Amino acid sequence: MDALFYTLVGIDLNWSSLPQQLVNGLVVGSIYALIALGYTMVYGVLRLINFAHGEVFMLGAYTALLSSWVMGFSPDAIRKFYESEAAKKLADPSYVERSIPADPFNLVIMILLAMAVCAVIGAVIEFFAYRPMRNQSRTAALITAIGVSLLLQYAGSLFLPASPPPSVAMEVNPYQTNVSVTLVPAPKEIRDKFDDSVSALEAAKESGADAETIGDLERKKNDLEGQVAATATAITMTQGKIVMLLTVLVLMAALRFLVLKTPAGRSMRAASHDFDSASLMGINVNRVVTFTFMLGSALAGAGAMMLVTFEGTSMQPFFGMAPGVKAFVAAVLGGIGNIPGAVLGGILMGLAETLVTWLGFSNYKDAVAFVILFIVLMFRPGGLLGSSKVEKV
Amino acid sequence: MNLGKFFAVRGFSVAVAILGCLALDYAAQTYLQDYIVRLVFLAGIYITLAVSLNLINGITGQFSIGHAAFYMVGAYTGGTLTKFFYDASPLGAVAWLIAMILAGAALAGVAGLLVGLPSLRLRGDYLAIVTLGFGEIIRIIVINQPELGGSSGLGFAPKVQGLWLVWLLAVICVAVCRNLLKTSHGLAFLAVREDEVAAQAMGINLTKTKVTAFVIGAAFAGAAGALLAMNEGYINPDLFKMDVSFLILTMVVLGGAGSITGSVLAALTLFAIPELPRLLKIDVSLAYLIGLTAGAIGFVSLLRHHQQRYHGPKAKGRMITVATVVGVPLAGLGLGWLLHTFTYLSDQTYELNNLRYVILAVTLIVVMLLRPEGVMGHHEFSWKWVQKVLTGRKPVAEESIS
Repeated sequence: MDALFYTLVGIDLNWSSLPQQLVNGLVVGSIYALIALGYTMVYGVLRLINFAHGEVFMLGAYTALLSSWVMGFSPDAIRKFYESEAAKKLADPSYVERSIPADPFNLVIMILLAMAVCAVIGAVIEFFAYRPMRNQSRTAALITAIGVSLLLQYAGSLFLPASPPPSVAMEVNPYQTNVSVTLVPAPKEIRDKFDDSVSALEAAKESGADAETIGDLERKKNDLEGQVAATATAITMTQGKIVMLLTVLVLMAALRFLVLKTPAGRSMRAASHDFDSASLMGINVNRVVTFTFMLGSALAGAGAMMLVTFEGTSMQPFFGMAPGVKAFVAAVLGGIGNIPGAVLGGILMGLAETLVTWLGFSNYKDAVAFVILFIVLMFRPGGLLGSSKVEKV
Repeated sequence: MNLGKFFAVRGFSVAVAILGCLALDYAAQTYLQDYIVRLVFLAGIYITLAVSLNLINGITGQFSIGHAAFYMVGAYTGGTLTKFFYDASPLGAVAWLIAMILAGAALAGVAGLLVGLPSLRLRGDYLAIVTLGFGEIIRIIVINQPELGGSSGLGFAPKVQGLWLVWLLAVICVAVCRNLLKTSHGLAFLAVREDEVAAQAMGINLTKTKVTAFVIGAAFAGAAGALLAMNEGYINPDLFKMDVSFLILTMVVLGGAGSITGSVLAALTLFAIPELPRLLKIDVSLAYLIGLTAGAIGFVSLLRHHQQRYHGPKAKGRMITVATVVGVPLAGLGLGWLLHTFTYLSDQTYELNNLRYVILAVTLIVVMLLRPEGVMGHHEFSWKWVQKVLTGRKPVAEESIS
């Protein structure tokens, strides 16, 4: 099959790196899923594409960054921050004194702050921009959403630091060591060669050979070490990514509990099933809508915080657009309005992106989301888990 | 539809249009500075883009938010063909330009067909995201083709300006859309917008109608793209990002989806936005920008007063109207001048580049909140309407399309 693929596309598949790529895809996909949940819940209740959701995500990332600054980490990073133009406005020398070592407790504070700030921003956007549009046409509401998105992007570019050093948020992260699991070890002959080279090197050192031979042997050893690493099937990831996956799982479980088992979740489901009837049944739909926006925005904030802290993604005021659009595609892929669908869509999206990278088409990574979307929508216009309703007169 | 019939009946109008465009070209080249000629050129391009998107979005009611894709297809068709085949062709520069417009329109029309076909199965938001995705896919494909210049862009010679062709294209686009609405085909478009199921029950072929709208709209955008490419002599994928699609969509919706007049007015107001970084050195540009946005808001409030006037004393209403129309743009110009002086002194032009989009976004939100159906709603320009606004008389019979 490898040979067939090689003759067809001209790419040599590296099977031993596949598990690693799948795990990477899972990590990226879980963040897409978190953002997609916000899109899908808002769409479920209001039938509105909240284009500003990507910008809420961006603001969450900045909140995490600013809170890490305020809590004061890494004098070096802080000096870099103070050298930037925007930071001079916020300058307060006392921050430099308060250097706190990286501590999981600070991460908890950061993620809670990001979630809280995003929730408030989501509620404010809903109140000022979307609530007055609720009885207008859906096109008008969508244009307002695009307007809010543009406003947040460009107002952000006026007030927020344009490209703060990504390392600043990383400084907070105590989980930077790599964890490695070897699934299939390297072929025996390569490992034997490696062991031989190690023992030959030690023997040469003991016998007091000249520097040149030792250098040669060392180079050979390093070369073979690289070969062992390349041929072994292993998964390597930072502890941070494991923490990230676990947090996503906890958040999703909490969301599921909230939606299925609490009165607030029940009114949300009712409003999403039939908005008008829900309000006739005595449900305060305004409160439900605000709640939905806060919930979705808080999830986006959590995702943003984890992305900048554990992945070290660099941020700028326009960086919410790309993950926002991809997460929206993920929500549509799973069937928009459907909560398990958003999770499924997000993870599929992450896996598809890393698989395309694995196949060697990393340039087309951003297009694959849409290609999959086209194919799925051709056969299931309602998305994977959604139901496409027949419109009645 | 019978395009020939439009022009056979209106031979005189066609002659006037062509002569008018030639005169505009001559006057612009003779009397105006280069950057203003460029603005006149772009105004024509954006009128074409906005009106052609209006045919898909406003008139047929299909929700397309990826219009820059068709624009891009046209531009790259023109650019690539010129780069590889111009030297071998016997055509002169202008004839080649016309050929490129037709080629760009044809290829963009094919792209429109590709996007139009899924619109048979997809409704509303799903269609929107598919059109958006189509634009992104085209852009990513172009970025990854070294033959097309990749992300660094495609340069070619010769540059042909063809200002008169741009405005002729805009006039043709407006005329085709306007005249189409008077035929049974055009009424079919409107029927599809209002209610697909009912339209189908009345014997309208949904497939044909939707795909026709997409193909015509895309073809005009492609022609505009080819003209842009030939004018610049250099194109790159960044010129056709999602922002451009959103700008065109904003024009359509601000002007009033379904109103051709509205699209033209909005295009004339907003077309300079992407050009402002280059123009910021010119003293009046910011004042112009703020004055125009204030003017747009003033225009909206004028229409609000016009609507509400029947409920209150007429004289007072008219006073407010006049005060708004005169006062708001003047105040805007003054504010713009002040801001410009201030920022000129403090040398912060780099922040102004982004400030212009903040102003655009605020205008967009304010207009949507005050008048969600757009400035013109479904109305079209007519002399009766002008008379009505000026005199405040109640109309005898409502003359609007919908």
